[in-house]
Amino acid sequence: MSVWNYVVTAHKPTAVTHSCVGNFTSPQELNLIISKCTRIEIHLLSPHGLQPMLDVPIYGRIATLELFRPPGEPQDLLFIATERYKFCVLQWDGETSELITRAMGDVSDRIGRPTDNGQIGIIDPDCRLVGLHLYDGLFKVIPFDNKGQLKEAFNIRLEELQVLDIKFLYGCSKPTIAVLYQDNKDARHLKTYEVALKDKDFIEGPWSQNNLDNGAGLLIPVPLPLGGVVIIGEETIVYCNGSSFKAIPIRPSITRAYGRVDPDGSRYLLGDNSGLLYLLVISYDRERITGLKIEHLGETSVASTISYLDNAVVYIGSKYGDSQLIKLNLQSDEKGSYVEVLEKYVNLGPIVDFCVVDLERQGQGQVVTCSGAYKDGSLRIVRNGIGINEQASVELQGIKGLWSLRSSTSDQYDTYLVVSFISETRILAMNMEDELEETEIEGFYAQTQTLFCQNAIHDQLIQVTGSSIRLVSCASRELLDEWNAPSGFSVNVATANATQILLATGGGHLVYIEIGNGKLNEVKHIQLEYEIACLDVNPIGQNANFSTMAAVGMWTDISVRIFWLPSLELITKESLGGEIIPRSVLMCSFEGVSYLLCALGDGHLFNFLLNVSTGELSNRKKVSLGTQPITLRTFSSKDATYVFAASDRPTVVYSSNKKLLYSNVNLKEVSHMSPFSSAAFPDSLAIAKEGELSIGTFDEIQKLHIRSIPLGEHARRICHQEQSRTFAICSIKNCLINNEETEIHFVRLLDDQTFEFMSTYQLDAFEYGCSILSCSFSDDNNVYYCVGTAYVLPEENEPTKGRILVFVVEDGKLQLIAEKETKGAVYSLNAFNGKLLAAINQKIQLYKWMLREDGAWELQSECGHHGHILALYVQTRGDFIVVGDLMKSISLLLYKHEEGAIEERARDYNANWMSAVEILDDDIYIGAENNFNLFAVRKNSDAATDEERGRLEAVGEYHLGEFVNRFRHGSLVMRLPDSEAGNISTIIFGTVNGVIGVVASLPHDHYVFLEKLQSQLVKVIKGVGGLSHEQWRSFNNEKKTVDARNFLDGDLIESFLDLSRPKMEEISNAIGVSVEDLCKRVEEMTRLH
Amino acid sequence: MGSLMGDWPSYDPQNFSQLRPSDRSAKPSKLTPTTYHPTHNRTLPPPNQVITTEARNILLRQIYQKAEEKLRPKRAATDNLAPEHGSKQSRGAIDSDP
Repeated sequence: MSVWNYVVTAHKPTAVTHSCVGNFTSPQELNLIISKCTRIEIHLLSPHGLQPMLDVPIYGRIATLELFRPPGEPQDLLFIATERYKFCVLQWDGETSELITRAMGDVSDRIGRPTDNGQIGIIDPDCRLVGLHLYDGLFKVIPFDNKGQLKEAFNIRLEELQVLDIKFLYGCSKPTIAVLYQDNKDARHLKTYEVALKDKDFIEGPWSQNNLDNGAGLLIPVPLPLGGVVIIGEETIVYCNGSSFKAIPIRPSITRAYGRVDPDGSRYLLGDNSGLLYLLVISYDRERITGLKIEHLGETSVASTISYLDNAVVYIGSKYGDSQLIKLNLQSDEKGSYVEVLEKYVNLGPIVDFCVVDLERQGQGQVVTCSGAYKDGSLRIVRNGIGINEQASVELQGIKGLWSLRSSTSDQYDTYLVVSFISETRILAMNMEDELEETEIEGFYAQTQTLFCQNAIHDQLIQVTGSSIRLVSCASRELLDEWNAPSGFSVNVATANATQILLATGGGHLVYIEIGNGKLNEVKHIQLEYEIACLDVNPIGQNANFSTMAAVGMWTDISVRIFWLPSLELITKESLGGEIIPRSVLMCSFEGVSYLLCALGDGHLFNFLLNVSTGELSNRKKVSLGTQPITLRTFSSKDATYVFAASDRPTVVYSSNKKLLYSNVNLKEVSHMSPFSSAAFPDSLAIAKEGELSIGTFDEIQKLHIRSIPLGEHARRICHQEQSRTFAICSIKNCLINNEETEIHFVRLLDDQTFEFMSTYQLDAFEYGCSILSCSFSDDNNVYYCVGTAYVLPEENEPTKGRILVFVVEDGKLQLIAEKETKGAVYSLNAFNGKLLAAINQKIQLYKWMLREDGAWELQSECGHHGHILALYVQTRGDFIVVGDLMKSISLLLYKHEEGAIEERARDYNANWMSAVEILDDDIYIGAENNFNLFAVRKNSDAATDEERGRLEAVGEYHLGEFVNRFRHGSLVMRLPDSEAGNISTIIFGTVNGVIGVVASLPHDHYVFLEKLQSQLVKVIKGVGGLSHEQWRSFNNEKKTVDARNFLDGDLIESFLDLSRPKMEEISNAIGVSVEDLCKRVEEMTRLH
Repeated sequence: MGSLMGDWPSYDPQNFSQLRPSDRSAKPSKLTPTTYHPTHNRTLPPPNQVITTEARNILLRQIYQKAEEKLRPKRAATDNLAPEHGSKQSRGAIDSDP
């Protein structure tokens, strides 16, 4: 790897932080706008649901998102403020469908302590000013003039230092805010202030309310006629407006989000931290409140934002689970819920941990994440693959084969779909209404299983069954000729093309037949020594209707053989080895290269280069696609050939740059596939799976496909063990025991195929699982799961006790083999030189695995290293140990075997608060820290002085804008060692907002080229809202802000491919490289993820 | 409860009218919007709409404001002055300029 890094997003953020509803894209259109931290999405409300319009990257982390409408404007404007103190006002230009910037600016102050409870941004309902609370003790005002233009901002001193919420009140002649705050005795109060714009100061407001609920945290301003605010506490809900007051008790809960239902403010939806949804109803008589009532509606994902849309449909945005579109029903269902979930939007956030595994052993990584929090916790299996978009489906059990037929050879589209079952054959056809209905082909025999079907020359059809071959006229659909199997023999397998039929009967008889006009001619018949398992005569030579070769897979000697046609003279015999019979053979040609594919009954696939002129096989390769028998079938899409391998893990085989590639398909189990291109469903595939026949289109774009395994509890650590084919996780379950909310902590064992819980080990009370590792030790052949824990006691600032538990998987169960008490939290565990390296509070500790005299194994402390604040993240390579500290950035330790000691070699003296570290190569380490930055440091082993050698030099800095929880080596895409991209090593990271990203280390010339491209792209692709890319990517923490270096923004670079041709040309001219070359280079980069 | 639950606001009765929950208990929505990459020149606001915070700190501002208020009683009905009162407005403007 290198210091030249390229950072790109493989999966965009999905955690929803804000949402709002208004007429943004036109005065008549109602839009839902949602924020996913660094992106906003604009949706349109339509009769069919939410229609996504645009995904807008923002050069900042969004702190505030508000729609507002200045007087006289026909449609709403969007106010966005970012965490790095920039703001912008966006307007939709309907004519050009562009976002234009009405205003923007910088609202930072040089001095000021950033607020602890997050930034607050609010807009006066009468549009007189924008209020911002960004620093303790200051309230910033951006006034509007009477034309809706913004004026210079100013600060007002705010006495209250611990502010919990601020909202503008409705219907006040002077703009008035309500401030919910905590005093220095931890009591909570509400105060109001009028903003005197002329004097640039607060005037004591009309009323205040002292001594609120100790858990009061959220203010809801109520529109006229009532005015005032609702204060949401943990045990009470209070309404007050200075003159009237109403309070009700509630079931203890922490309200996270609210959404107003009625424009007059009489109903609000409240969402709490356990995902329960409530309706708050305020009844009033003129300007007096008469009642306050709360009703439980049902359960949703834990909401971070709630937006009432229209006609009882509500958007629930979530950071902890999938966001949802729900409908509020008038009647409750049998469970007493008024909530009906209409749609779910996948969210991977927060990704707390993940591992990269290659479960199918295809050389393609897939990521398994610990996603979501609390009850919305889940595992997500993320893998790259091809999608089949299902268009129609019908329930059909027991499909044994599928073929499509044209009603005449000259037809453009397929008409018939022949579906074979164990004792019958059904023929489906497209009718006038473009529906599939059952029909008949008179010449076909329907009361038996069909082995093969094909359109043949001279406008004929053939059907091969167990007893005969039937040749049928397309025009009359009547039988023209029939070839019968010799008596006592039945056809076992058959294949055909437009002119040739090859079939095998019991006893190893191989029969070759040619199709004439109305006539079947048996040309050759031989007997082989064993039974025949599979056949193929797919023409790959010059003549598209005639094959000069036949491929045959054999029982008993487990071989694949190539014969000349029509002579059936054996050319090649290749033994496959093993005991698993070949189930499907196929000759095919990709990009002018001919291959023989041979699939086995256990999910393995062989591929050979096939010499078409000599029939020789070479370059044998074997991959595993699944565990069940595979059926191979070719199909074409957009003039390219693909092979569909139907099995328990359906795969599409294709070729790119003359390399065979295997891509997962987003379907679970497919038994048969046939291309089926009808007028209604052009370029489609018919797919038989799990009791269903479906028709879908093939989406050739590789995408990430995500499978969810809901756990109902919060998974925090995950680890895979190849040997036992299991995953182990540490998780927390929130339960109600005797009406007390309690956390129970588990170590759980899961099957790596089914993801079912196999075994569970419950940790002690207050004992958190902090780290998990699969490893083995010197002098012991077993593979263990090691779990590091911490006793987190409410009265302790830092844990002072923990355990290391060593488990072995036996008969699918976790067996505790050894445990070792530690003097703190075991934040990290690593396998290290056949020993176990643990990070325990401020110490790095090495344990040996020793056999005691009584025959039991135990962990024995060997040596350690002190001197960290908290050693949270540890990675190792050889004898080197890289530690990511809570506060003290990255340090490098070395284990000295002879002395049995760990010593510090070098450290980064910057004060970075780390969130993850990884080793890129011997000398270069990457870290992610608290302020959403990435940085790389380098060891200077060749430096002249000790002082320099002891310093890790920062060699790259970059603002990612995401909080990284974990780095792992690996790749989401199939990497071929001999391709160009195969030489680029990558690491994957997972973040709180559900981003999966890739850091690729580039060769220097490659980096320089892309850097040049990036610098041109910045000039062409503008930052939305006028926000600057350079500022956004600059490394930034409390102490410093410096330009990004040695990291490239892959998201920006890859957006080159989305540009219009003239813009591409503009860039191409500026850097003197042709558009085609640029596209090729950028496309190469997109293949990294 | 019925009265509380009914009568949900409707802005366009057509919205969501044809949306049916998918039978497989709300399968994940697959639609993804296109990503926006602006290349036009209107991502920059009009020059007068690039907003900054006034440089003068709160204390100085208050001192000047107090000084201004002290001067005020010497003049008649400052508060009621409309901008068209030409001469006095211009002197006021000079006063407020530190």
